[in-house]
Amino acid sequence: MSSDIQPATTKIFFREAIARAMREAMRDDPRVVLLGQDVGPFGGSYKEFVGLSATFGPTRVRDTPVAEEAMIGLGVGAAAAGLRPVVSITYMDFLMLGLDPLVNYAAKARFKTGGQIRTPLVVKTTAGAKGQGVAHSQCLEAWLMSVPGLKVVAPSTPADAYGLLKAAMLEDGPVVFMDHKRLFPTAGEVPVAEGHVPIGKAIVRRAGTDVTLATHSYMTRIALEAAEALDRLGVSCEVIDLRSLAPLDIETIAQSAARTGALVTLEEGQLTCGVGVEILFQVLERTGPIATARVGALPAPVSSNPVLEAAALPDADRVITAIRRLLESSRPGKS
Amino acid sequence: MLYALTVPGPIPDVEEVRVLEWHGQVGRAFEIGDLVVELETHKALVEVRAGQAGILRAIHCAEGDWQVVGRPLAVLSDGPDEALPSSPDELTALAVDFEVS
Repeated sequence: MSSDIQPATTKIFFREAIARAMREAMRDDPRVVLLGQDVGPFGGSYKEFVGLSATFGPTRVRDTPVAEEAMIGLGVGAAAAGLRPVVSITYMDFLMLGLDPLVNYAAKARFKTGGQIRTPLVVKTTAGAKGQGVAHSQCLEAWLMSVPGLKVVAPSTPADAYGLLKAAMLEDGPVVFMDHKRLFPTAGEVPVAEGHVPIGKAIVRRAGTDVTLATHSYMTRIALEAAEALDRLGVSCEVIDLRSLAPLDIETIAQSAARTGALVTLEEGQLTCGVGVEILFQVLERTGPIATARVGALPAPVSSNPVLEAAALPDADRVITAIRRLLESSRPGKS
Repeated sequence: MLYALTVPGPIPDVEEVRVLEWHGQVGRAFEIGDLVVELETHKALVEVRAGQAGILRAIHCAEGDWQVVGRPLAVLSDGPDEALPSSPDELTALAVDFEVS
């Protein structure tokens, strides 16, 4: 049966998945250009753009000063004028300097002009804590999810980094592609055949029957670690990797949660007005009352002290504790 | 005596590497300090040099293959004719020097 045939894959590093997506898109479409700090001959802060400058030259792969508002502003203008720019903002913390052109111009151009101006812009940025302190560690994706006209994707694997970046570069409006510092050391299988991963589709990473755990980006790895440990404790945990935050694939989560009867969200960012609370409310609107809990960072800045960094962030133990507590309170005897 | 050449470590953040280039084929005698193999991490190259003399007897991870830190890449021996084991897993680790750049 054709469904038994797995597509051929090759194992590559996370950074190589990004470079491959860029290389194919730039080969296929001369309108795709790359702008950002150290994206040129240096090859990107995480070596995720290695080789692009040599292949496509300085006109299409442009180093910029560290001036985020100007970088994104330039990208929006170039997009409105017919290019398909990818702007690299190394740390998501500094994306906030470019929010005016991104939110007020890129996300609104299509609405403001009755569809006459499209802004096919991709902003690629890296979130997450990895020893770099208060202003180089944040996960601010929840801020972006509430902007009409803006799409937000967050891969957790090299295959999705490749496929979602390819998809983002085909969009007619702005997309924020958010990766994570702790994903760069990872490697994984990526289809040999060229393609893309559709934006707006979550994926079940692990099937389970007792509780649904919805998460994204690097926290998917923590979720899978927790699910593995919970399995040994007799708790069957379904792990859903959102992949796309805007639009949210709420149907996939709601169907799972309706089946398991319990939904836990996990994010590295803040819980207040976070990804989790949005998911939980939208799911509850569909399912009616089910057991819910959310796990995220403590309400404190992320320290550059590694002990305090770890203390502020969710880990597998906290996820396990939250799930056991939820199941114990909602279904005594299960956990 | 037979030795396993393993992926050296620890290297910060690195669990797994890809073999970039072997510097010699099976049968080559390496002296202390000779470059044996170059490995790729997510952001760096690792040069692995022989920390003791030995003859390369079997390569378990070809160029392009992946291996995790601490696991065997190849088997070396003191003499050219020592019988190879079915698996390199139980062998003493070859002394190496490595540099991450």
